[in-house]
This record gives sequence, C-alpha cells and structure tokens, in this order.
Amino acid sequence: MTLRRTLPNGLTLLLEPDADAQTVAAGYFVATGARDERPEEMGASHFLEHLMFKGSARLSAAELNERLDELGGQANAFTSDEATVYHAAALPEQGGALLDTLTELLRPALRPGDIEPERGVILEEIAMYAEQPAVRVADELRAAYWGAHPLGYAVLGTPDTVRALTREALERNHRERYGAPQVTLAVVGAFEPEEVLAWAQRELCGWPIGTPPRPSAPAPRPAAPGTLRTLRDEHLTRVQVALALPGLPASHPLREAAAVLAEVIGGENGLLYWALLDTGLADSADFAHLDYQDAGTFEGGFSCDTERAQTVLDAYRAVLATAPAALTDAAVRRAARKLAVSTLLRAETPQGRLFTLGMEFLALGRPLTTAELVDRYARVTPQDVRAVLALCPLTLPTVVALGPVAELA
Amino acid sequence: MTLTAAPTAHVWTLEGGLTAAFERRKGPGFALDLRVPVGSAHDPVGREGSAGVLEEWLSKGAGGKDARQFQDALDDLGVRRSGGVGPEATRFGVSGLLADLPAALGLLADLLRRPALPPEDLPVLADLARQDLEGLEDSPPDLLAVGARRLAFPRDPASPFAGYAHPASGTPEGLARLSVDGLRAFLGRYGTRGSVVGLVADADPAEMRALLERAFAGWQAGEAGVVPADFRPGLRAHLSHAEAEQTHLSVTAPGVSPRSPGWLAWQVALTALSGGSASRLFHAVREERGLAYHVSASPILLGGQGFLSAYAGSTPGRAPETLEVLLAELARLPQGLTGAEFERARAGLTASVVFGAESLRARASGLTRDLAVFGQVRSVAALRAQLAALTLDGVNTVLAGYRPADHATIVTLGPGEQFA
Repeated sequence: MTLRRTLPNGLTLLLEPDADAQTVAAGYFVATGARDERPEEMGASHFLEHLMFKGSARLSAAELNERLDELGGQANAFTSDEATVYHAAALPEQGGALLDTLTELLRPALRPGDIEPERGVILEEIAMYAEQPAVRVADELRAAYWGAHPLGYAVLGTPDTVRALTREALERNHRERYGAPQVTLAVVGAFEPEEVLAWAQRELCGWPIGTPPRPSAPAPRPAAPGTLRTLRDEHLTRVQVALALPGLPASHPLREAAAVLAEVIGGENGLLYWALLDTGLADSADFAHLDYQDAGTFEGGFSCDTERAQTVLDAYRAVLATAPAALTDAAVRRAARKLAVSTLLRAETPQGRLFTLGMEFLALGRPLTTAELVDRYARVTPQDVRAVLALCPLTLPTVVALGPVAELA
Repeated sequence: MTLTAAPTAHVWTLEGGLTAAFERRKGPGFALDLRVPVGSAHDPVGREGSAGVLEEWLSKGAGGKDARQFQDALDDLGVRRSGGVGPEATRFGVSGLLADLPAALGLLADLLRRPALPPEDLPVLADLARQDLEGLEDSPPDLLAVGARRLAFPRDPASPFAGYAHPASGTPEGLARLSVDGLRAFLGRYGTRGSVVGLVADADPAEMRALLERAFAGWQAGEAGVVPADFRPGLRAHLSHAEAEQTHLSVTAPGVSPRSPGWLAWQVALTALSGGSASRLFHAVREERGLAYHVSASPILLGGQGFLSAYAGSTPGRAPETLEVLLAELARLPQGLTGAEFERARAGLTASVVFGAESLRARASGLTRDLAVFGQVRSVAALRAQLAALTLDGVNTVLAGYRPADHATIVTLGPGEQFA
C-alpha cells in the first residue's frame, strides 16, 4: 500500500515500505522537462540536472560526490520531455543518509566555477550521441513529427543553445520549475514510514513554493503526417529509418491496450519480427507506444542494408496496414500476459518499483499499486486493442530515413 | 555492521554431470540462468561466428515445434528470455511466474536437446550476423572495442580455436564458410561438462533438484575447455575513422585473476579508480576538467585471467589530454589509496554486492557466474564479511606491485591518420 502525504508547501510524499526488502530506494520526481523550455534555452532542463551533482551551498561538488559514493554509488538522474528524476538507493542502515544526501543534491549552488567544466561535459555528451545513427534519426523524427512544438526539442539541446545558457538563465529555470508543488519524493523498500514523515516535516517544509509553472503549450497535431524525409549521409554504412504515428495520452483508459498493440506489432514474437527479422530483411525492427500528458505516439523503426531500404520500408508499412486483420485473440492474450508478468517482476526490487511508482504518479496524478498495474495489463481484451486501432489507425506515418541512401518513396 | 540475512545456496552435481545452484527466495517469480562454456573464442579457425549463429539457430524451433509455435509457447507462459553469446560462454536465461517454471524449463531443455535447426534458416542467420558486423562501422566505440581486442589478444596460430580476436558476430569470411553440418557438429560441444545452471525461486529445494534432474537427464557430456588469453602488453595503434565526432580511447592492461588472493583488493582499487562519481577517473577527467562525458575502467575476465579495460571518448582536440590524465591515474595506483578512498570504495562494493543479488534474474546469473569463475557460490553474507576484513594496508600492499600503466596496450579511434 502506498502512503501519500502532501506537505503544506505542496511537495508530495509517496512512501511504500516493504519489511522484506534488502535495500531502500528514493527518488525525487520533478514534473518538468524539456517540454517546458524556451526555444533559445533548449537543453536547460538537462543542464540543470547535471549541475545538481555539482554541490550545494553546504557541500562542494567533490564532497557531494563522496557522500553519494559512500551510499554505494547507485545515484543517477535523467531528463525527459515532461519529467526530471533524481534517484539513489542504499542499504537499510544508510536510509537516513540516503534521504539527506539526495535532498542536498536538489539544492544546487550553481557556482560559475562548476558550470563551465560541466558545459564541456554536456558538449561531449552531445558529440557522443551525434555519432549514434539510431539517436540521430530519433531526434530528427521528433523534430519532424512535432514541428516547432517543444515536444520536438532535443533534450540535450544543441551545441549552440548549450554554449549560450547563462548562469542567470539556469537559475531562473530552477526557480520557476523546481517549486515544491512540482516535486514528488518517493521512497520504497526497507524503511520506517513514521521516521521518514518526521524527517520530511523537518527537512522539506522549507522547500520554496516557487512561481507557478507556465502551462505547457498543448501538444499539436502531427506537423507532417504521411511525409518521408531522407537525410543522406554517405559516411554511414547502413540505413536507419524511424517513424511516428498518433497514439493515446497517459490518462486515456486504453493506454495499456495501446501498449499491448505495440507489443503485438513490435515485440519479440511480434508481426514485425516475423516479417523483417525472421526473413533477414533487416537486422533490427521495433515499435513502441509513448505517452505524454495530452498526447501519445507510436514510434518505431528499423536498420538494414542500403539497397534493401525501400523493400524493408514497404514491408514495414504493410505490417502496419494489415495489423487490424492480423490481430488474433491469441496474440493479444499473449502480449497482455507478457506485459503483466514483466510489470509484476519489475516491482521485485525497491529500485524497480520506485520508477514505476514515481513515473505513473507524474503521469496520472495518483499512485498505482503493483497489483493494480498488473491488472490493467492482464484485463486488456482484443476489443480494447481494436478500439485503439479505431482511434489510432496507424496510417500516414511521419518517416525519417538516415544513411547512404538517395530518395525513398 | 549488520549483515543482511541471506539464504545459503544449494549446489548439486546432477545425475549426468550438470552442476546446479539453487537459492530459495520469497516472491511470485522464478529466474533461471544456464551457462554453457561455449563462446566465440571456441569458434573454429576459419568459421568465426559459429557460436553466435548457432545460438540464434537454436531458437528456430525445437521439440517438434516450429519457430513460431516455440515462441508462442514461451509467450503463453508470459516468460522472458535473456542471454546471448560471450567470448567464453553462451547463456540461456528464462524468468517468469513460479507456476510456469516446469513448462518453461521443458521448453529450454527442448531448445538445447531437441532443436529443429532448419537448414533453410542458416543462410538468413549468417546474413543477419553479416549485417551486424557491418553495423559496427557505424558505431565507433564498438569498432574500437573490436580493434582493441584484436591487438591486445591476438589469436594463437597453433590453436584450433579462433580465440578472442574477433567479435561474437564472427568475420565475413568465417560466416561465409558456415555450413549446416559444421554447425551441427559444433553443437556437439554443448553438454553437461562445464555447464552450470542457476535457479532462484520460492520452492522446495528437493523438488527443484528433481525438476532440473528430469529436464537435463540424458544430456550429452559435450566438451569444456578454456581458451587461453594471450595478452600483448605495451602496444599502440590508431584506427582512422574520418566521420567520428569524438576520438575514442581504449586502454587494456593486466589485472588480477579471480582465484588469486588479491582479487578483492583489486576490486576495491578499481572501485576507487572508477566506481562512482568521486572515483579518481570520473573526478580527474570529467568533474575537474570536463574532458569527457564517458570515462570508465572495469575488470574483464578472459581465459581465467583478469584484465583492466578502460575507455574514454573526447572530441579530437581534447583527446590527448584525456589519454594523458587517464594514464596518469593508472600510473599512480602503485602509490596506494587514501584511507577515505578505501572506506568509500569498500562501502560502495559492499552495497553493490547486495544490489547485485537483489533481483531474481541478477541472482540467478550471479550463481552461475560464481560457479564458473570462482568454482563456488559466494553468499552475500560471506562476501560482506570478506570485504569487512580487508584493510587499507592490505589493499595498498597488493597495489604496490600493480603497475598497469607500464604494460598498457593503447588503441585509439578517431578522425585523422594518427592520434594527435
């Protein structure tokens, strides 16, 4: 059972104690991400995430890192379109130090002397991903699908926007987007909830409320449905193709059915596997459902030999076009069971449960128990999946191709 | 320090010779991991890619089911498969709900003992491996890893085994020579000899033993043999890759072998070197100088020996400084750790021992790894006690004689004909 408390400043606590757990995991789930950025400040959310690890008013970067390592070095963070998450885990006897250190992490000093080396690190991170064709094509796809809307932004920003971000801009982003009502602290595993509640009353009630966040610009319709953009790069050996189609938002009652549909099409035993991989046409092919507050997408893609690119693209499109006819009751039952079992098994460790608890809370506004989550998958019916196809007909994808290829049709 | 109460693993030699380890855990699931001591290092010379393609071929139907029926049967249980081919072993993992264990185990046994191996699928699988090899060209870090392996661990010309110089996908020439008969003969290496199975579930040990015994009864003995790793120290090479955004650096150096008394001390040293955000490499390369996003050093085990493998990627203008800083950190290891570094590294390792055994799947593969690498299952409690017994002096004594920088083989990959 999840214990939910809201502090007077609006900060939410989600506590899920488990006496049998061998460890304790904690995470700050902040309801802000790249979607909330101004265009000229693209990459600010991710830059801030890096700077949190550079120390607070009380601790230098080195001291903070030493404390994180003493806990076992399980701390990390990530930034997405709608969330920024800071998490760590420790042995039960270090639960107090875990919460103190993680909380200190969320009080960044943003010292100019720490910002400059970190800017270099982020520019290296951008260069690292720029070498990965699958990442390049995914970034281009988001930009093509969402157009100028912030959902099309690169989470890391561009070298130009990252170079231009000033301390003042970063500080303002922090002030405006890390107010207590935006923040949820989730704790899972071996701990005493009463102790954590008392600690939170002491330590978290002073968290600034901040300024109310600007409402996100509503997700637009796809900017270029049914288009295909080819990015020719003669230096690459193989072709990467990515495509996107409208899906369902996080709050939609058919969200799990959309995930089951994606599994039927793109899973290990899915339609794409038998059409593209079992035949050897492509060496990878996938399809997944992503959901946001007010929108969703089906995203997929493949990689293949250059001369096969058109054939594979045609075969991929044919799989999508014939999905309604290929959708058997047995395939839906298997996919739903598989997702239900993996949801259950993922919850076996505090760290695994932490992410589901926190991310589902940000998406849906209420904590979901593991049993509830498992049940949501297990009860998906073939009718539900057909209803998803009726709402999201998988036609007119936005397609981007990258590689030594001239023009695809 | 409180010790986490950890169950003791049962280790059995099953009838027929297969070694099994079982650990009872509360929870609705099970995880099983089977490690067969046949990896890409065992590929016959001239048929590189055998182990990798065989593993894929095995999943194309078994026990009278074709590939689709076999996959449907797994999905009917909702189980997840995992595994793959490494240099020294092929792993087959399966996890799911406890009630489905007997059926899942039956499917795994079918896959190993009654595979269909349809001849018409072999050219397709060899072509997929060829595509995978070509994909390396588009991934500079992977290309570097292959180049580094080739230079640091060349093939022994006298050995019938292709060794560690090629990736698991094989070589274009080796893949072209794979044949139905040749691969079926290669499957003859699979068997109980040297294979280990790890199982974690909330079930009666005697029942689990009987279940495993039944599943693997009559499995052939197969062949087990370790391919020696012949490390070449002190070499240097640059691989030119015109389009790379970064220059990628690989450093391979001798390490400590897992059954040597200095193993745990070396693990502490590597944790201090690269185990967290206050570790030496992370601090010197990333935190202090902002030279790289990714820098790390980790142990690798090949042929029963331990080696140190370090990696960093920096934009070309900064790569020389990154390499210099990285090598300087290796060079000062013999001077030893500070007391604070030692305590942090030990605390980190202690926590990671618990984290590493926490999930069913991680524990099942930990059981087989322990049996294969150390010849015994190390319990979490015993490992924690061993870590608690380490001293700073003891670790520094081991480090005083450890000079990885003097014997490092360095391979770089990036734009330009030479490493700037």
